[in-house]
Amino acid sequence: MNKTVTINISGIIFHIEEDAYEKLSKYLASIKALFNKADGGNEIMSDIEARIAEMLQGKISAAKQVVLMIDVDFVIDNMGKPEEFVSEAAEAGDPLADDAYETQGSPVRRLFRDGDNKVIGGVCSGIGHYFGIDPVWLRIALLLLFFFAGSGFLLYLILWIAIPEAKTTADKLMMKGEKADINNISKAVKEEAEQLKKRMEKYGKDFSKASRRGAPRNAAEKTADFLADVFTGIGRVLLKIFGVAMVIIGLLLFLALFGLESGMTALPTNIEGQEWINLMLLDGKDFYIGLIGIALFLGIPVIMLVYFGIRILFKLRYGNRWINLTAGLIWLVGLAMLMYIAARTSQDFAKVAKLRETVQVQAADTLILKMNEVWVNYGELEISDKDEEGERHYYRGHKTGYVIGKHDQVKYLLGNASMNVIKSQTGKTELVIVKEARGGSKDMAKLRAKHIAYTVSQTGNTLMFDDLFRVNSLDKFRGQDVTAILKIPVGTVIYLDKSLESLIYDIENVTNTYDGDMINRRWQMTEEGLKCVDCEGLISVKDHLNGVSNDDSDDEVNINVNGVNINAKDASIKVDSNGVDIHSKESKVTIDKHGVHVDTKSHK
Amino acid sequence: MVNSENTKAQMRKGVLELCILSILSQGDAYPTEIIEKLKETKLVVVEGTLYPLLTRLKNTGLLTYRWEESTSGPPRKYYMLTEIGTTYLRELQLSWAELVEAVNKTIQPKN
Repeated sequence: MNKTVTINISGIIFHIEEDAYEKLSKYLASIKALFNKADGGNEIMSDIEARIAEMLQGKISAAKQVVLMIDVDFVIDNMGKPEEFVSEAAEAGDPLADDAYETQGSPVRRLFRDGDNKVIGGVCSGIGHYFGIDPVWLRIALLLLFFFAGSGFLLYLILWIAIPEAKTTADKLMMKGEKADINNISKAVKEEAEQLKKRMEKYGKDFSKASRRGAPRNAAEKTADFLADVFTGIGRVLLKIFGVAMVIIGLLLFLALFGLESGMTALPTNIEGQEWINLMLLDGKDFYIGLIGIALFLGIPVIMLVYFGIRILFKLRYGNRWINLTAGLIWLVGLAMLMYIAARTSQDFAKVAKLRETVQVQAADTLILKMNEVWVNYGELEISDKDEEGERHYYRGHKTGYVIGKHDQVKYLLGNASMNVIKSQTGKTELVIVKEARGGSKDMAKLRAKHIAYTVSQTGNTLMFDDLFRVNSLDKFRGQDVTAILKIPVGTVIYLDKSLESLIYDIENVTNTYDGDMINRRWQMTEEGLKCVDCEGLISVKDHLNGVSNDDSDDEVNINVNGVNINAKDASIKVDSNGVDIHSKESKVTIDKHGVHVDTKSHK
Repeated sequence: MVNSENTKAQMRKGVLELCILSILSQGDAYPTEIIEKLKETKLVVVEGTLYPLLTRLKNTGLLTYRWEESTSGPPRKYYMLTEIGTTYLRELQLSWAELVEAVNKTIQPKN
């Protein structure tokens, strides 16, 4: 027993078996689609339907009341398949058929390059057809992009490779096919939804009965089929979205990359990033290899991203197999270049050299140690710890790291130096400046070390230590470092100014006081090491580590037989046997045996 | 062996219009009859080809039709030549004769 459907063709009622109905439906739909837009299409359609009805009536009798599959096959054989009569009529020069073919034959418009209307490669013409806009606009847009780090050129190249040229007549028709405007898109979406609905309905029906069409599929197989269909549908949508995302991200990344390389960019870049590349890499051909290597290594994935994004978006299936291979190879070349550069560069770091310069220091009972802000008066210095007014903020703890500074159009690499104070073995007060650098050979390393500029100056009994050492950028960044070691004999007292906080590094002392606590105090060198002279109320290291803030000790007021010591947050007053020392944020006054020194921001 | 079916089909398609008009000049007919007559002379096309062609010829004014009731189905269209159609047919027949002569001369070897 089978299910039948009741239909009417050309006003005649037929009972037709379900599967036969499906086939007939599809057949009629395909013919209808063919003549849909043709002149007099309706008339043709009804003529054909009338004939079909006539044919089918011949197949029905009292004994056989239902139209079966073989009957439908008979109809199709005689009437012909749509492809058959369209092409025949077209060959006979039937303009009607031509129209039908041209205006409908092609499904939704597809993206091709127009080889017949090309300026260079037909890219703009092709895209113009697809979106229905004049190619002129696209050419202008591409030209503008060209000025944006030449990205227009690369984009054109990608499009040229990705989009196939319309070679066959079918291609050319699809290129100009049914317009892909909003209506059609929504129609296409609706059709997809309808299909999905029908599939779901059919699934519901099939699930409860065995199909006669082929080997009966059990419930599990049917569910799998159904899910596959649904997910394919969803997948198609997701794929589209993915395609768009890929193209956009790819283009943005490309712009960013190109900007980084050429310095010409619309996005905010870190100028220092480019500088670092200059400083790290070797000169000459190695530099360019490095640059190209980076470009290929990062660029190729980005380009492929855009390429695949475009392919997905416009359903371009004729992918050139060679493209993937070539892109992969070029990327590997880029990788090889980078690895080569990495090896070569690290080679230049292989050997280390330390130069020790000993500078004589005028001895004194008490030496005042301060930090000198190098180049604080020179404008274009990009030291990140300066605020808008150019004020340096004091740090807690030793400062490391490098920075790039420019002076008189020359660029320099600046690094943070370190300072230490130890006992002099010779009884003399002396300063040892240790300059360290690296290079491919010991000689190269030594040379670089020699090129480091660092100054410690003495005025009376005040020693000014530069905070930064300077390296000529031609020497490149090769692990340069400077440590200034002050050696003092037993008995000498030093006063560590607050400014030294970022410079000193783990100065050994008897009480194991933390560096941060050592500043603003006097220390005397004893046989055992540095001992604090005016540390009344000093917080112990333990307390400090437990989070008892140093601010407390800075807030301290200390008046005793040695003098007055008042520490506020950004100011301090010290009165002792050496004189008066008053610090505040914007100024300082020092009165000692040399006289009165007043330092303000404008008055140095 | 290179398939010659395509070329043969091309040749047939080229003369379809002429044949249909000729058949109709011998008497009114409806599409199925026309197909039968074509089959008799071994000129085979599928029915579907006929309908758009007939409609076009009608729209161009070469043919016209009348309705006839049928016992075995829906009413049928009986086609016939118009005056213009007859003139047009004569022209086609003339050019066909010329064509045949020219082709025969070309394919017959000259001695």
